[in-house]
Amino acid sequence: MRISEQAKQLCRARILEKAAELFAARGFDQTTTRDIALAAGVAAGTMFNYFPSKETMAMTMVNEALARGREEFQTRLDGSEALEEELFLLIGTELRRLRPLRPFLGPVLERSLSTFPRKSVCPEGETARQEHMECVRQVMRRHGFSATPEDVAGTIYWSLYLGILASWTGDQSENQEASRGLIDYAIRTFVQMISGTAQGGDHGH
Amino acid sequence: MATEARRKTGIEDRAALLNLMPRQEEAARRRLAELVESVAAKRPPTTSFSRLWILGSLQAKVTCAYLAYWLRSRWADADERERLKSETHLKAALQLLGTMGYLRGAVMKLGQMLATFPDALPDEFARLLPALHFEAPAMHYAMVREVFLDEFGKEPHELFASFEREAFAAASLGQVHRARLLSGEQVAVKIQYPGIARTIEADLRNLRLLMQPMRLGEDWGNTVVKLAEVERVLLAETDYLAEASFAQTVRDSFTPEEGIVIPRVYPEYSTRRVLTTEHLEGVHLEELLDSAPSQELRDRYTHLMTVATTRMLYRTHWLLADPNPGNYIFMPDGRLGLVDFGCTRELSDEEWQLQVEVEDALLRRDETEMERLIVKASLYDSAEQMGQERLELIGRVIRWQLEPWLSEGIFDFGDEDFFRRGMEAMVEVMRKGFTRGMPVHIWTNRFILGARGVVYRLKGRCDFQEIYRRESGRDGCGMSGAATSK
Ligand SMILES: Nc1ncnc2c1ncn2[C@@H]1O[C@H](COP(=O)(O)OP(=O)(O)OP(=O)(O)O)[C@@H](O)[C@H]1O
Repeated sequence: MRISEQAKQLCRARILEKAAELFAARGFDQTTTRDIALAAGVAAGTMFNYFPSKETMAMTMVNEALARGREEFQTRLDGSEALEEELFLLIGTELRRLRPLRPFLGPVLERSLSTFPRKSVCPEGETARQEHMECVRQVMRRHGFSATPEDVAGTIYWSLYLGILASWTGDQSENQEASRGLIDYAIRTFVQMISGTAQGGDHGH
Repeated sequence: MATEARRKTGIEDRAALLNLMPRQEEAARRRLAELVESVAAKRPPTTSFSRLWILGSLQAKVTCAYLAYWLRSRWADADERERLKSETHLKAALQLLGTMGYLRGAVMKLGQMLATFPDALPDEFARLLPALHFEAPAMHYAMVREVFLDEFGKEPHELFASFEREAFAAASLGQVHRARLLSGEQVAVKIQYPGIARTIEADLRNLRLLMQPMRLGEDWGNTVVKLAEVERVLLAETDYLAEASFAQTVRDSFTPEEGIVIPRVYPEYSTRRVLTTEHLEGVHLEELLDSAPSQELRDRYTHLMTVATTRMLYRTHWLLADPNPGNYIFMPDGRLGLVDFGCTRELSDEEWQLQVEVEDALLRRDETEMERLIVKASLYDSAEQMGQERLELIGRVIRWQLEPWLSEGIFDFGDEDFFRRGMEAMVEVMRKGFTRGMPVHIWTNRFILGARGVVYRLKGRCDFQEIYRRESGRDGCGMSGAATSK
């Protein structure tokens, strides 16, 4: 008998929900896929069909949260924002959505977004990068900067963004307020840098 | 527990920092002086950047190192042109970060203290003074919105009937926006730059570390104590709810007929990081002076300022430790508005006692007792130990500070000779490095300097003694004694 698409979605959602609970309660590294399967009430083999690893589960949650954040970001814009502000809102809104996952995010992001070459690359990590960067490129284009997927600006941006994520994930201050300054700083550094190259754009006001 | 952890990271930070420092003491001194000077002199590339010092921290260095790594790894198999292009970018990035390293933060703080607490620091640095200024970085509206979401769970436009996106005034730890409440009142909303309290802590820690190898003279120990005092007051300023309660207490000690206005606080729109107060319409000192006010108006404002500050001093033993001219608002109907109670220092009983004793000795013209108190306030055991020159000079400053207490009738704070005498004595104290003293005197000096500066520029007069008698409730023997001995 074939499982309906709806049942599949429900099962997938249940696995993610249980995984999130366990990660938050025990920590990412202390949780095994076995624990998750048990809590979700599915066989380990079945679970494997949905998610090949717990990294994948965690990064799926991350990507969903980020995607919701980006949707919300679009609704918060009123068109009067400077490039710095728009990027700041983008990151701020994403991180707000990511906040519930923060307790177990450190090792997840470290593994999935690490710039160091790894044997088994987590495709969801690559998805996170591509989706975020696509949004950034749209923002940049709106402000008159040309942006191609492989340019240096994108690379620098991504490295700053990873720095932000790393700081924010471990930020002990209330509401991660210490990272706000870093985000501001990183974005201004970036905008200053791309404005400095003779690329045009709407800077200089 | 928490303090233990704090101490631990403090030690780690210290180790990390010391690693960055050159080992040889003499070389360290010189290199540091050069560094401080070059960082201070460097004009950041754009105006928005000039206020970003706060973010230049070790984190920035880490980001920077990370960036370098990233680019280098990219070059591994890129061709030469790619390499050069990337290198250019990297250089640009490094230059930017270099202008705002943690040193810059420390330098700015150093500058602030030089500018406002000249006696807290050695005069070696005095020549850096004009280049430095303390201001939090400007926040764009996107940042303000995020702060509001954190503080209230709402955006500014959801909370207020209207909210101006651009700040109308800069504050030392943030900025101030105009807004209107749903009930119609115009308000001033002061918003703190996120994380600034931690930055202050970190910067002052760095500052101490940076200065340590220099071991600036015999009064080093005293300087350290004063830095701790500065830290305490600056950190207290980061809690806007504490400021709100100070403001409320002060507000309660004035009646509307007196012409002194302390804006009311709106607690529903205030948190530790956001302070919403009634907006006071009026002008600042500069603008008032531009309008060529009558002598009568100048005198009136001088009178009101004196009443306000003496009442706070004598009733609550509070010093307005940050008497910057922007905190006085000259209202159109001749009333005086007072804002900013964040930087308020309460005198301890012991400190207050000393103040009272000095006033009494002065009014009795008891020179022996005055000398004893000056020696005590300078933390010496005896006049011999203090030295004649120091004793004379510090005495001159204290007597100048208290001169209005001894003058019958109208006192002219706009008198150039009076003002110059005081300034000259204080500059001399700094030049000689006679900075040793009780930490509270950082604030008394600052308070008197700030307030005297304003009334001097205002060229204002008032009957100081009359105000003093009324506010202190001490109109008895001291005064008559002083009068007869004249
Ligand atoms: N209620 C108010 N009505 C009108 N202006 C205000 C009000 N509150 C603040 N301001 C303006 O904003 C400026 C900065 O506010 P405030 O002094 O409270 O901040 P601060 O952080 O203590 O800054 P600083 O230490 O530089 O004075 C004031 O100098 C004043 O010009």
